Amino acid sequence: MTAPLILAVPSKGRLQENTMAFFARAGLPLEQSGSARSYRGRVAGLRGVEVAFLSASEIAREIGAGAVHLGVTGRDQVEETVPDFASRTEMIAPLGFGHADCVVAVPEAWIDVEAMEDLDDVAAGFRPRHGRRLTVATKYVNITRRFFAGHGIADYRIVESLGATEGAPATGAADLIVDITTTGSTLRANGLKMLADGTILKSEAWLVASRVPKLGRAQARAMATIVARVREAAAG
Amino acid sequence: MAESYQPLRDLFSRAGYAFVEPPILHDARIFVELAGEDLRRRLFLATDAEGRELALRPDYTIPVCLQHLAGGPARRRANYAYLGPVFRQRPGAPGEFLQAGVESLGRTDREAADADVLKLALESAATLGVRKPSVRIGDSTLFAALLDALDVSLPWQRRLARSFGDTRRLAALIARGRSDNGARRRVVPVALGRERREAEARAGELLAAHGLATVGGRTAEEIAGRVVEKTELAAGIGARAAKVLSAYLALAGSKAAAPGLLRAFARRERVAIGPTIDRFAERVEALAKAGVDPARLAFAADFGRRLDYYTGFVFEIHDAARPKLAQIVGGGRYDRLLALIPGQTAAKGNIPAIGFSIWLDRIGGAP
Repeated sequence: MTAPLILAVPSKGRLQENTMAFFARAGLPLEQSGSARSYRGRVAGLRGVEVAFLSASEIAREIGAGAVHLGVTGRDQVEETVPDFASRTEMIAPLGFGHADCVVAVPEAWIDVEAMEDLDDVAAGFRPRHGRRLTVATKYVNITRRFFAGHGIADYRIVESLGATEGAPATGAADLIVDITTTGSTLRANGLKMLADGTILKSEAWLVASRVPKLGRAQARAMATIVARVREAAAG
Repeated sequence: MAESYQPLRDLFSRAGYAFVEPPILHDARIFVELAGEDLRRRLFLATDAEGRELALRPDYTIPVCLQHLAGGPARRRANYAYLGPVFRQRPGAPGEFLQAGVESLGRTDREAADADVLKLALESAATLGVRKPSVRIGDSTLFAALLDALDVSLPWQRRLARSFGDTRRLAALIARGRSDNGARRRVVPVALGRERREAEARAGELLAAHGLATVGGRTAEEIAGRVVEKTELAAGIGARAAKVLSAYLALAGSKAAAPGLLRAFARRERVAIGPTIDRFAERVEALAKAGVDPARLAFAADFGRRLDYYTGFVFEIHDAARPKLAQIVGGGRYDRLLALIPGQTAAKGNIPAIGFSIWLDRIGGAP
């Protein structure tokens, strides 16, 4: 028996429902083996493919490591989780759901801060005044570092947040945040505002391929079939 | 590995530097607070049972300074040497590698200390078999003096000084700063006073409304201060300052020729930076007296390090026989570091400090 192609899809919530619906539309219905609780499955009518149900961040990590050949996950997860993502992954097609922007948000009361260059000034002046560095709460440590470095901002410290990041400024856990948002209403409700040039990336769910493992003939054939049908469905 | 390098150890000892071996494991915050978030991604981190984040030392300078502060008055004179492993995440290269170097603390005869330390760096390179060292020198105090002499507004001075060392970013900033086309707006103090009061009231309301007034972040007064500062920023730096700064950053020549070069520049552009050039010239003389031929050193006006504890003179040595290799020695004056170390109150204000590190892993074969 030859090794199967591993396709990883989200294991819960809206993302899973949307993925199942999308693949069905693409003529690749996904079936969970045994009960609906199982974390393994297959693509009906397509042999040599094993479906793994994982969390979105696990999918990104496994694609980066090459343990999963193809997967559905957010662009934000890929850019956060996979070191050197540009060479290890290939973004095949956006799937039209799971939209979210990763943004820099500061307290609305910071009426002097409208753009990243303002934040640079604030960060540089913060330590002399407060005796500590400006702090940024986020789950997106790597994305934040790259974006801030791109804007020449060095004088800050990241506070890793494990949830409810938007509450960090009000509890004093951090001065500002980097987080995902769809409509911005959660940010506004927490007295935060986005910066004019502070949208780091516009994310949605993508079909992503790993460039890491070498594929066998059967795996390559199965991959080509899935990629072609997903591209077609994404375009249509 | 670290047991060899005896000739280098002897050299440091003869020059009056005492070998120290500070701890490898440190509170990670100390490095992040001092060197910034950008260093953190290169740290090897571990968490202890109480959840504190620890880091393997990424260099010796900060650990040596911590040991210095723990051992007595911050301002006392002390010469330290080190040789051992440091730890940084480096894609495609081992995370553990050897560095050697010295830190000279507390010497108030700064120019002479600069010369002594650079001379020792060159002797170290020779001891390690580097036959063709190429040395690059920079001095950010000249740039700072120029900003002052050109009457650049304080918020712009801070912006520009912060980017010194990153020439592309600096060029872009200068271009932005001149975009007011020389029509430098005079900021009216009365209008600024009103703007400040209104901004402070508005920021205060919003801070209170969102429960931020008491959490220890930015205050309404601070925010209002920056609203006013933005008015100054919007006025730019003017066409003349932009032109002179760009011309300055392009200056380059040998260190021997540099004082003359700088004086001619100051005359031509009519900027009063004489005292700073004098100190630069003193250092050139001190080097000559120490037996280092300044004609062998390349001065680059735009060379600096973007770490806020570096305060002026910097140098780096490359191996001219292997021009593609990164610097094999990096050094500079960091008079602000001791005072910036969190949790200590003994060191206030600048304390003279200069040192260098040798990247032993970039120099083939231990002698």
